[in-house]
Amino acid sequence: MPALELVDVRKVYRSGDDEVAALDQATLRVGNDEMVALVGPSGSGKSTLLSISGGLLAPTSGTVVVGGEALGAYSAKALTEFRRRRVGFVFQAVNLVPFLTARENLLIVAELSGTDRSSARARAERLLDELGLGDRAGHLPEALSGGERQRVAIGRALMNQPELVLIDEPTSALDTELGEQVMELITTEVKGRGTAAVIVTQDERMTHYADRVVHITDGRLLDE
Amino acid sequence: MRLALRELRRRPGRFAVAGGAMAFLTVLLLFLGGLLDGLYLGSTGLIRSQAAELLTFSDDARLSLLRSRIDPPVRDEVEAVDGVESVRGLGVALVAASVPGENDLADVSLVGYEGGVEGVPDPPEADFVGYADRRLEAFGVEEGDRLGLGPDGIEVEVVGWVEDTSFLLQGGLWVTPATWREVLGSARPDAVLADGTFQALAVTVAPGADPAAVASAIDEATGSTETVTRDEAVLALPGVKEQSSTLSAIINTTFLVVGIVVALFFALVTLERSALYAVLKAIGASSRQLLVGVVVQAVVVAGAALAVGGLLTFLLSLVVPPGVPVQFEGGRALQVVVGVLVASVLGSAVSLRRVIKVDPADAIS
Amino acid sequence: MSSNLDSLHALRPTLGLAFREMRRARLRFGLLAGALGLLAFLVLFQQTLLTSLLGYFTGALESQSAEVLVYGEEARTSVEASVVLPDTVEEVAGVEGVGASAPLGENTFTAQVGGSLEDVVVFGYELGGPGAPTTLVEGRLPERDGEGVASDLDVDLGLDIGDVVALGPDEDVPIEIVGLAADLRFSVEPTVFTSFATFAAGREAVNPDAPFVPASLVAVAPADGVDPAELADRINAEVDGVEALTRADAVAQAPGVAETSQSFSIVFLLAYVVVAIVTGFFFLILTIQKQQAFTLLRAIGADGGVLAGAVMVQALVVTLVGILLGAGATALVAVLVDDDFAQVPDPRTVLTTGTVIIVLAALAALPSLRRVRRLEPADAAQPSAGLT
Repeated sequence: MPALELVDVRKVYRSGDDEVAALDQATLRVGNDEMVALVGPSGSGKSTLLSISGGLLAPTSGTVVVGGEALGAYSAKALTEFRRRRVGFVFQAVNLVPFLTARENLLIVAELSGTDRSSARARAERLLDELGLGDRAGHLPEALSGGERQRVAIGRALMNQPELVLIDEPTSALDTELGEQVMELITTEVKGRGTAAVIVTQDERMTHYADRVVHITDGRLLDE
Repeated sequence: MRLALRELRRRPGRFAVAGGAMAFLTVLLLFLGGLLDGLYLGSTGLIRSQAAELLTFSDDARLSLLRSRIDPPVRDEVEAVDGVESVRGLGVALVAASVPGENDLADVSLVGYEGGVEGVPDPPEADFVGYADRRLEAFGVEEGDRLGLGPDGIEVEVVGWVEDTSFLLQGGLWVTPATWREVLGSARPDAVLADGTFQALAVTVAPGADPAAVASAIDEATGSTETVTRDEAVLALPGVKEQSSTLSAIINTTFLVVGIVVALFFALVTLERSALYAVLKAIGASSRQLLVGVVVQAVVVAGAALAVGGLLTFLLSLVVPPGVPVQFEGGRALQVVVGVLVASVLGSAVSLRRVIKVDPADAIS
Repeated sequence: MSSNLDSLHALRPTLGLAFREMRRARLRFGLLAGALGLLAFLVLFQQTLLTSLLGYFTGALESQSAEVLVYGEEARTSVEASVVLPDTVEEVAGVEGVGASAPLGENTFTAQVGGSLEDVVVFGYELGGPGAPTTLVEGRLPERDGEGVASDLDVDLGLDIGDVVALGPDEDVPIEIVGLAADLRFSVEPTVFTSFATFAAGREAVNPDAPFVPASLVAVAPADGVDPAELADRINAEVDGVEALTRADAVAQAPGVAETSQSFSIVFLLAYVVVAIVTGFFFLILTIQKQQAFTLLRAIGADGGVLAGAVMVQALVVTLVGILLGAGATALVAVLVDDDFAQVPDPRTVLTTGTVIIVLAALAALPSLRRVRRLEPADAAQPSAGLT
């Protein structure tokens, strides 16, 4: 069962009489252990595809299945719960809650779903160690470097043991060395757990980390 | 909810200003409430403390104790009415009293009574001694003092204390009817009353009898009286009704201001948090969870504001000029606490729509 | 010349920026205007209340002709408690500098007015002497016993010219209203000025046990060229058992006036503090929120003064709207509530209170202005930090 299956997904925006297709006939399968890089210029529809894959946006037509769950039938409330359980997000700009420590940022998902605190805390500690943030766990984001913040965001995305991790431009604000460190980390963490990942990026330097590169232009996918 | 509390703990500064505004509004509310209670309690103590259910006035006095007069024949008629258990005379004179060792005169409401007053012992055996209301302590009155009443300085010795028996903001001094008549005669020669004549009668109703029915019966029997319940007599005191309703309206308006200030603050803060809310919703927070967080913050800030406001009010009460009739009552404070909390919750709910409208897809710009 | 043009040039973008933002964020600015409006209403309403209250307490004292009023000493400047015996009245008349003096009686009566029993305060003065009403608006002063002047506020109560007020339990002391005067109320009750003889007759009718009816006060008109304050001092020095006050002092020291004013002052003070805090923090938070936008504008060449000016314009506009709302609400309450107390606010009061509020708001907005001016345009070039 693929982690993500998009079939003929179309997303259309109306503005007045005009119709703009942000995504058109998008079909994509991502296997359980796969890391897919989604590459395209700005305005190409990659953010739309990422949002639809994570249940943040409903397609105009087509089917979205994540880990065997068909999202089409889900109400907004069900989608919220779905995201909580089965998807991890790493956003480009806004990521961490500014008034929570690194550790608390990891624990927030557990708090939202009311999971048992002690097991969540144990898991968070493990992740923080693996991410090399052991001694920075009690710091607020403003006291962390850009790279460290990125690592916290990755940790949070993995907290709920998701089927699928969706990552938006992880290296755009980082220099080459840091970017490579982050990509190494993502590869280790994601692939090591058998989680699938879709990474949206414009950064051709980093695409070699992925198992597969999919190009997108004007709402259409060029490879399958 | 934990998230909301942690934001409060880590970012107190941003909430401090809204809390500060609310603290001052709390002081305003407590002060207005204190005025309301001070005016009411200080004006009406004399009548509220009557044990009798009914008060009889002459029908041309418009329920004014000071203008009413009941002569002995009328009193006999009242006593003969069915359902009347006992009748006691009541008279009041507002006089100034000199206090030994003090420069300023004390405002006294001298009461001639025949017993039947809660919290006040039966009339003293002798004339020219009396029980003083604690309000008079503010003028330096002490037990054992001989107060000089009226222009002739008729002396009355204070032999005990009573509480909450003021009349028209003047502290009560409870004496025998004879003492009262003499002082009245000297202070207001045009208002002197003959022996046996009182200003009003405190009428105790026989057990099982309906006070309203007895009241009508009394007025019918005499043809020259107006008998009302104790509560009605209280409301008829000059200014009581108007002051209470005006101040209550002002207090309610202030509660409204509290609600709007909270609404304003959370409208601003929610807007600022839109991006954060989008992220939280994306990773699985429901609108309800976020909203609960907002309400929790409103309640905590309100609670802190109430505490600070209460402290400030206490400090204010120490420096308020003595003439200002404020009295801080526990019941009123509770009302303010509840009112501010409710206003805060309602005010924070204004952000409801905006929180719900945040689209998690915005997290991926 | 050119500096004038410069300021004019700066004004348009300033106003444009200010109004455009307000239009786009109606809820926020609306709430602030609402909060300020309610606070302004609180203050204005209570100010009109205070003025009415004070006027109703002591209007009669203010609107009568005696410039010096002599109380019984133990009355502590309370007219109602004051009694001056005939011997003392004579003594006062004998003090040097007294032009004319006469007894002035005051008491509250229950009387038949307009078909029902009402409380009426009656002042009795010596016709032709000091103590006569000075603010006649209609009719004439009483020329004989049994005639009186009423307050123009109580016309509807049954105290119009031609109406008769009957004192005494048997209504045997009639007073025909022959004139109306402004600001004549006392102790918040309808008030009638009549001759002392009529007044005394009324008191005797109410209390037959009374041996005689004393004056409450002595109304004194100073002789030509004599200062009322000096005369009052002289009377106090020469006559035992009295307290002489000028008319203004009598009004200010009437029981209840000082305490009422003080109580309201505390309320006003608190309301003003809240105005300052609410306005200040609103604009501070707003400024912090708009930091990025402002920095960007500065980077592309917007003048710091224009941006700061826009904030100030907003503060002033919102405050002005709030004051108008508050004044409107006060007027509305006055019209709807059929109460003597609630009055349409005097424009002068609105102006004074409004100015205080505007000044407070402007001062409160200053920290925000400083923040805006201190923004570095170079910060715009930094990559957007977002939240983190």
